[in-house]
Amino acid sequence: MSLHFPCPNCGADVVFRSPALPNRVCDYCRSMLVRSDSAVAKIGEVAALPFDVSPIQIGMRGRIDDKGFEVIGRVRWAWTDGAWNEWLLLFEDGGNAWLGEAMGQFMLLWQQPIGKVRSRTMREMINGKQAIPGTEVQIDNRKLVITDARDVVCIAAEGELPFTVSTGWTLYSVDLRGRGGECATLQRDDQETTFYQGHYVTLAELAPRGLRAIEGWALPAYAA
Amino acid sequence: MQPEAAIQPEPAPAAKALTCPSCGGSVALRAAGYTVHVACQYCSSILDVTDPQVKLVTTYSLHMAELEIPLGTRGVLRGVEWEAIGYLQRSENGMWAWEEYLLFNPYHGYRWLVKVRGGWSLGETLTVTPDWLSYDQLGVGPETYTHFFADGEAQVDYVLGEFYWRVAVGEKVATADWVRPGAMLSREQNAHEISWTRNALLSPAEMQKAFGIQPQAKIWPPLPHQPSPWGEWLKTGAMLGALAFAFLLVFAIFFGGTSWTAAGNFPVAADGREQSVTLGPIVLPHRYQSVHLRADVPQLENGWLDLDYSLVERTTQQVYEAYGAAERYSGSDSDGPWSEGSRKAEVSIASVPVGTYDLVVEYKANRWSGVSGYADAVSWMDPANAPVVQVEVRRGAVYASNLLIALFLIAAPLLLALIWHIAFETARKSESDFATSDEDDDE
Amino acid sequence: MSTRTFIYALWCLGVAGLFAMGAIYAWSPFAEGSRARTHAGFYGPTHK
Repeated sequence: MSLHFPCPNCGADVVFRSPALPNRVCDYCRSMLVRSDSAVAKIGEVAALPFDVSPIQIGMRGRIDDKGFEVIGRVRWAWTDGAWNEWLLLFEDGGNAWLGEAMGQFMLLWQQPIGKVRSRTMREMINGKQAIPGTEVQIDNRKLVITDARDVVCIAAEGELPFTVSTGWTLYSVDLRGRGGECATLQRDDQETTFYQGHYVTLAELAPRGLRAIEGWALPAYAA
Repeated sequence: MQPEAAIQPEPAPAAKALTCPSCGGSVALRAAGYTVHVACQYCSSILDVTDPQVKLVTTYSLHMAELEIPLGTRGVLRGVEWEAIGYLQRSENGMWAWEEYLLFNPYHGYRWLVKVRGGWSLGETLTVTPDWLSYDQLGVGPETYTHFFADGEAQVDYVLGEFYWRVAVGEKVATADWVRPGAMLSREQNAHEISWTRNALLSPAEMQKAFGIQPQAKIWPPLPHQPSPWGEWLKTGAMLGALAFAFLLVFAIFFGGTSWTAAGNFPVAADGREQSVTLGPIVLPHRYQSVHLRADVPQLENGWLDLDYSLVERTTQQVYEAYGAAERYSGSDSDGPWSEGSRKAEVSIASVPVGTYDLVVEYKANRWSGVSGYADAVSWMDPANAPVVQVEVRRGAVYASNLLIALFLIAAPLLLALIWHIAFETARKSESDFATSDEDDDE
Repeated sequence: MSTRTFIYALWCLGVAGLFAMGAIYAWSPFAEGSRARTHAGFYGPTHK
């Protein structure tokens, strides 16, 4: 159920694949667009993505937990000491999830309602307290450890997204990790806090098709 | 959903070129998008590439080091091709220095190639947190690791190439290590984060094949995570040895002999002359057997009885002989009564073939001249004693002594392996921060 | 199976073989008696 519209800024064709994802970045003029019932409006502009050698690209398909998906969007975040990508995956059943990519490791995360978080430490963080790496937290009867907590800023975006982004949008982001590879992220800005839960995956586990080709590097056997 | 693209886009370039703000040289960025700091290969200055405006972090005018694995070299390790893109020299406050190479593959992420005391390990950052199993044991999946180093502090002494964090010469992390045979779990932490790396020991053959490097053959004391060369084998060896010995036991039982049967009794003359008696017939049914003869002289005291046995086969007239003597002495001295020897004497004759035999016993009784007491004390040969010799015979096939020799031979290589294994493990553990106090003697 | 295990298995086989030979011939290095080199005269009944 894809909807096509002309970009209100440059006229290029922009596509919206899911009713749940009304935001996207125009591929040509990098305008941040929002679709309402009948029209598409430009509400800002995002910076160009810097060059990188990420193996993931928009249009890549894969399969995880027995559901097929396609990569349809990306947000690039930076902190004082580095940057990483978060790719938006659209599943064949209409749901979506984020694939965080940093230092060659992938975290697959699904947004969860913030009310689900009951741990006292977590509720304190939601209310504005700073997180301390190394602290243990109980989520769903599993023990997770806070592995880092930092201020992050959005530096670029592309494709379709579940919310609007702007270059310079700052969040406080806390990552947690458990002993079976489970992970979670809490993100807080001055308006609201969002919570995501999931687990680490390897590129092979995603059964990718359409991995980005990089000169001089052979595609791994599972993606060839 | 959009249909899959029919035309494949051009592959993305693998590297991006930058200009060093310090010396103007062209620096290749191989892990663009991930790299945070890169050291210029011409002037050693460290550049910050998180910003499109490449910033100079520190300037050096050091000579580029000749690396064992020049940056940009690729090698295939454990089925994946890696490119060496960064190099670090680290140490514990300037001592015990070691080297680390950052390996990169865009589809597989990062690995570390760590060289310590001539041994190479492949390190991978964990995505799980280890389990605390006990005060000195950690678990990751099915593997258990034992505490080896604690309270370490690693500092960066030299930097070359690209890194995914803001590496700086002099930066420190608190370290601790746990080991299991073949792998070391290292924890590094600073104020902002904790990271865990699993370093798998690489065999010299693997390093040779991947990067053409010939590592040191023998490292002593052994590396903390070096497996004992004989440890694993001892388990298989012990099973083999037990199997072999079990087989021998079964064999021995199967080839068992008979019990003692009386062969005959005969008297001892009082005058101590040479006597002869023929006992038998003794029938030996097996192709070969051992013949055990036991003589019992109940009246023997302070003297001895020479016994020469000859087993003579009736048809072939072949002779098998043995000599045995029974001797017994007793008396009393300042320490009290004493006795020596035995009234029984047993000999065995090996490999006696099948046949019917006569046992010829030539014997001579003797009195011990050193007997204490009255000169006319009664000798054991006196007719009033009625001294007799009772001879018993039994057949056998397997000698208990053979079984013991076989056991020793089977166990000997296992014992040698055990000794070497213990020496190896003692030397390996002596490097640990948790070595027991009596191993610190040579500090 | 490694080289060492193979060699040790051969060794055990050898020891077992020697042991078996010892059993078949009922022989031991510690036996006191053996076949006499010479014998004098005839012993025992020489005919029925």
